[in-house]
Amino acid sequence: MADKSLHVMLMYVISHLGLIFFMYPGNVISSTEQGHWLPVLVGVVIHFIFITIYMKGLSYFPKKDIIRIYAGIGKGTAIFFIAPVFLYFSMILLITLRAYAEIITIVFLSNTPLWAIMLLLISISTYIAAKGVETIFRTGLLLSLLFLPIIIFIFFTSFQNVDWRYMVPLDADLGFIIKRTYLESFFAFSGGFLFLGFVQPYFSYDRKYVLWAAAFLIPFFLFSVYIPVLTFGQATSATTFLPYVVAVDAININWLMFDRVTMFFLLSLISFIMLYLALVSWKAIRILSHYLPSIKPVKLLLALSAAVYISCFFIPDWKDVEKLFWWNTFLRFYILIAVPFSIFFFGRRMKRKGKDETI
Amino acid sequence: MDRFINEIKAELGNNGDFHLQRDYLADAAVMLLGFNTLIDFIKTRVVLHKHAESILLQNQPSGDLWRAIGEVIEGDVRKAISSIYEGKLIIHFENTARFIIMEPVPAMLDRSIDSPTNENVIQGALDSFTEGIDTNIGMVRKLVNSDEIRIDSFTAGRSRKNKLSLLYIDGQADADLVNSIRDHIEKNIQIEACDLQGLAKMLGFPSWSAISKFNTTELPHHAVQNLKKGKVILFVDRLPFALILPNLLWDMFAVENDRNFPLPIMLAIRAIRIIGILITLITPGLYVALVSVNPEVLQIQLALSVAQSREGVPYPALVEIIFMLLILELILEASVRLPKSIGPTITMVGGIILGQAAVEAKLVSNLLIIILAATTIANSTIVGFQNSVSIRLFKYAIVLLAAIFGILGLVAGLVFVGAYLASLNTYGKSYLYLNLKGNESNGG
Repeated sequence: MADKSLHVMLMYVISHLGLIFFMYPGNVISSTEQGHWLPVLVGVVIHFIFITIYMKGLSYFPKKDIIRIYAGIGKGTAIFFIAPVFLYFSMILLITLRAYAEIITIVFLSNTPLWAIMLLLISISTYIAAKGVETIFRTGLLLSLLFLPIIIFIFFTSFQNVDWRYMVPLDADLGFIIKRTYLESFFAFSGGFLFLGFVQPYFSYDRKYVLWAAAFLIPFFLFSVYIPVLTFGQATSATTFLPYVVAVDAININWLMFDRVTMFFLLSLISFIMLYLALVSWKAIRILSHYLPSIKPVKLLLALSAAVYISCFFIPDWKDVEKLFWWNTFLRFYILIAVPFSIFFFGRRMKRKGKDETI
Repeated sequence: MDRFINEIKAELGNNGDFHLQRDYLADAAVMLLGFNTLIDFIKTRVVLHKHAESILLQNQPSGDLWRAIGEVIEGDVRKAISSIYEGKLIIHFENTARFIIMEPVPAMLDRSIDSPTNENVIQGALDSFTEGIDTNIGMVRKLVNSDEIRIDSFTAGRSRKNKLSLLYIDGQADADLVNSIRDHIEKNIQIEACDLQGLAKMLGFPSWSAISKFNTTELPHHAVQNLKKGKVILFVDRLPFALILPNLLWDMFAVENDRNFPLPIMLAIRAIRIIGILITLITPGLYVALVSVNPEVLQIQLALSVAQSREGVPYPALVEIIFMLLILELILEASVRLPKSIGPTITMVGGIILGQAAVEAKLVSNLLIIILAATTIANSTIVGFQNSVSIRLFKYAIVLLAAIFGILGLVAGLVFVGAYLASLNTYGKSYLYLNLKGNESNGG
């Protein structure tokens, strides 16, 4: 089996980068008044703990994806774990598509109707998903070659207007943990990691590299929150809708002939989001086609995409997107906690059983 | 006249170039039969007579002579006729049913080895493949000089038999790839494969793929380097180039001849080609997006100067750019069709009249002319004509998306093109591989 650590690593970075810079900073900034490093740190630590457990658990089942792992254990387990995962994927598709289309119309393209933007996003991601997992990962490689340099360049230039004195209130309390916005910020942590359990039948990867990729993301998590704070101060940035985007909008690079660097930054991230949507649709289709083997996966994919697209029209405005986002948070924590632990638990149990049998 | 001759005459007599000549070889009266367009009769007869003389001088029986000059066959008229069609000489013994199929001195129908016409080489070997398949294989053999080269030959087609040869280096080429190609050829041996579409059909490639599965080259040196890298070469008789399989993305940027330059220069040249493909894909779309959908992205002075250059142009940017791109495609296509002596005229007409006059007549903006020139020039930096044609096609998809969605459409187009390229593969070998031999995490 091919070792594709590089691809998995890139995909991990790409799908998280697409999620970090939009809602996450706003959520964290509004969850606490000072010492933003603590909420970020708590998130990152939880993220690390769960991916480590998840990957350790998965390593007990080489060449199996989580669908087959759960299905192998029993029908009840399958329903108990896979059904929420599928629901979660559909919710992610719906929310991401709707939310990002809204962001695109807010930041630029104010004249283009929402349905056209959503149609573009969903059709491209459906196309990629239809071509299968290898294509998704290879596209990830090409896109990261094209767009990652832009993102990193703009990320560094976003320090342009930073005033380090805003950093001063360093003390923090843990009051943020129960805040709604903080819990919502886990969107950025829990969105991307599940794919590690889906690619195993196709190719293997080194767990070390995934941890490196997660470590690579830490500065992005931290500074996506801190750059708006350092640019505008906590009080101002808490009032903005997408704080990081506004902070990037304030950058001025004379030699670049473009006035709005944000545009390129956002578009690079949106290209990653298209790929992320493709990955999530692919995962959802893997689950569906496991239980409906008689229908062609492509048909299932088209049906799913159409359903997601149509459902988007039932969300009238941003308030409802936020409501959905909040509802999804419960599901998200269920997935974040239940899936890694259960895989780990089943893996341990299977290993012990295997040992007993050999004795 | 005996029956044998009559039968052949009935079949071939209405061919103007069918040649029938009486002759004496050793002590036998024979008839020489063949096409004088395929056989150099005078030289062949000289060779025959010299041969006969030397045998007779050694006092050997004439039977030895017959066996020395070719295959002696009794009776089979059909075989004689098909051999004549293949360009062989038939020596028939009068009043018997015996004949000899001889390999004659062929008439010179192939051009000699020439310098390449469609690929330019700077500081490198200047020979190129010709139409004759044997010459091409010979050139490769001369360059490889190894006992590991393998050559499989096939004759394909139903009515018109065409020769195909598959070359690879044993141990270097991927066995799965070689086997799949060979299996496909053997399975579809009756398909006429004298052009690339036929060949693609024979090898089971999808016919709607925008990127050719074959990488073509005229240069033996380039072909041999690819062989050594583990790729497979396919020669088709009457096609003056080698088909390299699989075609990879990196082949758009790299030529073997680059290695004749110092390493930093080689890297710079390849970087230029990568920039070339990006400019080709992005600039027309970017123009449309910036002019018609997202002008606020530009700094205000720049936006004003763009607007000023478009002053008086009566239609939207999309129509303007499609109109000019179409004219450019026409010029390109025309300059391929035209004889070499008229080609420069067209370039001049295109350059002066279309460039200057179109701007002055306010048909298009100044800026657009610059962008189109940049696009066309950048497009030509891509290695291989086939590759540059594919990229030319993708440009239009991006322009259309950019006209609707602005810069978002441009990015979506790039993602789409990226995904399309990523989805291509040849018998399981991804289009994005960097090299075939290295470990798999190396490329795509």
